Amino acid sequence: MTDNVILSAQNVSKQFGGRGDLVARGLARLGLARPRPVVRAVEDVSFDLYKGEVLGVVGESGCGKSTLGRMVAGLLDPSEGQINGRAPDANTGPLPMQMIFQDPFSSLNPRKRVSDLIGEAPRVHRIVSPSEVNAYVADLMDRCGIDASYRDRFSHQFSGGQRQRIGIARALAVKPEILVCDEAVSALDVSIQAQIINLFMDLRDEFGLTYLFISHDLGVVEHIADRILVMYLGRIVESGPAEQIFNDPQHPYTRALIDGVPRLDRRRTVYEPIKGDIPSPIDPPKGCHFHPRCPLAEARCRTERPVLRDIAPGRQAACHLIETTAIEGEPKWPATKTG
Amino acid sequence: MTAVLDVRDLDTSFVSPSGTIAALQGVSLTVNTGEILGLVGESGSGKSLTGFSINRLISPPGKVVGGQVLLHGQDVLTLGEEDMRQLRGRRIAMIFQDPMMTLNPVLRIETQMYDALSAHESITKTKARSRAIAALDEVGIPAPEDRLRSYPHQLSGGMRQRVAIAIALLHRPDLIIADEPTTALDVTIQGQILALVQRLCRDRGTALIWITHDLAVVAGIADRLAVMYAGRIVEIGGVDDVLDNPAHPYTRGLIDSVPARGTRGKRLNQIPGRMPALTDLPKGCAYAPRCPRATAACEAMPAIEPISDTRAVRCFHPLTGEAS
Ligand SMILES: Nc1ncnc2c1ncn2[C@@H]1O[C@H](COP(=O)(O)OP(=O)(O)OP(=O)(O)O)[C@@H](O)[C@H]1O
Ligand SMILES: Nc1ncnc2c1ncn2[C@@H]1O[C@H](COP(=O)(O)OP(=O)(O)OP(=O)(O)O)[C@@H](O)[C@H]1O
Ligand code: SF4
Ligand code: SF4
Ligand SMILES: [Mg+2]
Ligand SMILES: [Mg+2]
Repeated sequence: MTDNVILSAQNVSKQFGGRGDLVARGLARLGLARPRPVVRAVEDVSFDLYKGEVLGVVGESGCGKSTLGRMVAGLLDPSEGQINGRAPDANTGPLPMQMIFQDPFSSLNPRKRVSDLIGEAPRVHRIVSPSEVNAYVADLMDRCGIDASYRDRFSHQFSGGQRQRIGIARALAVKPEILVCDEAVSALDVSIQAQIINLFMDLRDEFGLTYLFISHDLGVVEHIADRILVMYLGRIVESGPAEQIFNDPQHPYTRALIDGVPRLDRRRTVYEPIKGDIPSPIDPPKGCHFHPRCPLAEARCRTERPVLRDIAPGRQAACHLIETTAIEGEPKWPATKTG
Repeated sequence: MTAVLDVRDLDTSFVSPSGTIAALQGVSLTVNTGEILGLVGESGSGKSLTGFSINRLISPPGKVVGGQVLLHGQDVLTLGEEDMRQLRGRRIAMIFQDPMMTLNPVLRIETQMYDALSAHESITKTKARSRAIAALDEVGIPAPEDRLRSYPHQLSGGMRQRVAIAIALLHRPDLIIADEPTTALDVTIQGQILALVQRLCRDRGTALIWITHDLAVVAGIADRLAVMYAGRIVEIGGVDDVLDNPAHPYTRGLIDSVPARGTRGKRLNQIPGRMPALTDLPKGCAYAPRCPRATAACEAMPAIEPISDTRAVRCFHPLTGEAS
């Protein structure tokens, strides 16, 4: 690992289902239950996370974003492969990763006051001494834009935007280096979403945070991310600097995705979307997962898995048609045009 | 152009022992033949209530308490229940964010489509079947004959939404009210539904109200745009006019807070505070506590006034294209 790499994922896969626990396997052997189908939620994914960057993860529902995020945050163990974080040094303490969810309060104790929700973990992990907890919580609330006078309120007394701020303050309380944000602004109205996005950017500067920023909203990711991973059915299909991915997508799926996103400056658009449904991850298409929907698919796409390889400095894509030099010019099919 | 729908001064309230909440106040809008009107606003602004009120689907404690809903000149608010039931589904259809609002989970698609057809016309099973197949085919469902045998849970979310749209279109309604029908769908599937709805409106001249919180979606498909805030329409006009030269400070704020191309690395504009609860509205303009242009005059309620032949805005100090 180079100095800048704060976390590195190597050939990480995650399967759900299949063998099941001892009881399930026993029942299956006796023919009393069917073995559960195997879901390959994440398949052979490798990437580096650089210190201080915002790495965006995009892709459609079920492509494995949350599963990947949970593995990075240490909430889930990979089935195969490894995720190597930098060894925690003296002043980062024992909890270098924190995860922020769509609604962090849905999983939290509604009978706890805000001050406890934020202050409990740092007290338990001895990040601050008991006498300093109050001041510590007040400072965090202030930095996250919650009036410290609300410290004795309960979670249900806050709006969605305020709840998200409390969730962020709670995550920051254990001094993480990496924040994994899973659809952290997706449930918020735009005016509130803007407040939270700005807060994330301020905190990045203030605390030197590194983000894995998962969202299905490409507008948000384009705004916030430095680099992007594009996922499809458990695999990374393209990665690279955000600006390049958005201005010059190479993988046919990335092109379809970016061309299909409604934008404020696209008026009376005639959508000519990519065909077909997203296939099931239980029985994904052979070869390139995208081939049944890909307008450029060839014979070998149906049998041969394209490997993720370098196509330009800092850029990777997994497509048989993309050689080491980038595809030039316009997409070969118009996904949208303005009429 | 003729107005298919002309809503005038619609008021909808919720009545409870602790008082009456005015949830919609003075909502006026028109939709013409073949036109798509985008209805946008943040959560709780009254978009769905507007759609439900037009279709008379408000149930107690909610009630439409004032105004007119003219469908081809006829006020649907004065119709009897039976006439209204005939009208609903035949001349006005609704599509919801959750297609299971339209679909029955325990019935095959074929049965549901037959029921929808026979509710408004006498039709043989054979005829109904071929109409259903044609309708499914039109919304891009592959192998429609096979799909007729399916139950809703055997279909993907995008397919279910297509079936709901096919059912909404069975009687060739004059007006469709679509309430966030693509919000739960993925980008590529959303694109398919947008393309479908666009084509159907264009080919058939159906008038459409597309309700969404996503400005970018309506930017792409709407001809005109109405912006709601706290139960009122604050601005209405052509989509280019409203998005390129918003007149209401809230519209301006909303547009500027959308993360998009060209905002990379910059701070997003953020509107301070949040929309007030309906029980807690300020006396005058509901946007005043968040508005950078507010003055003492805004302690009164601004009326919605035309600022050109095609636009109207509810503001004492509308923006006129100068730097804000
Ligand atoms: N605990 C689990 N058990 C079984 N299957 C699971 C589990 N968690 C996730 N999956 C499956 O793994 C796949 C990837 O799910 P994941 O939640 O990571 O996708 P996602 O990209 O986050 O989707 P979304 O955009 O809908 O949040 C899906 O098919 C999902 O159904
Ligand atoms: N039964 C009810 N009693 C009191 N108020 C209600 C009731 N139903 C809805 N409301 C209020 O009416 C207002 C408008 O709701 P509506 O569902 O139309 O909002 P919306 O713009 O569609 O929001 P969203 O984007 O969240 O769907 C909200 O403030 C809501 O709280
Ligand atoms: S490998 Fe083949 S099917 Fe897959 S994206 Fe490339 S061209 Fe399309
Ligand atoms: S009326 Fe006043 S407070 Fe309301 S939007 Fe206009 S300027 Fe702002
Ligand atoms: Mg997810
Ligand atoms: Mg609604």
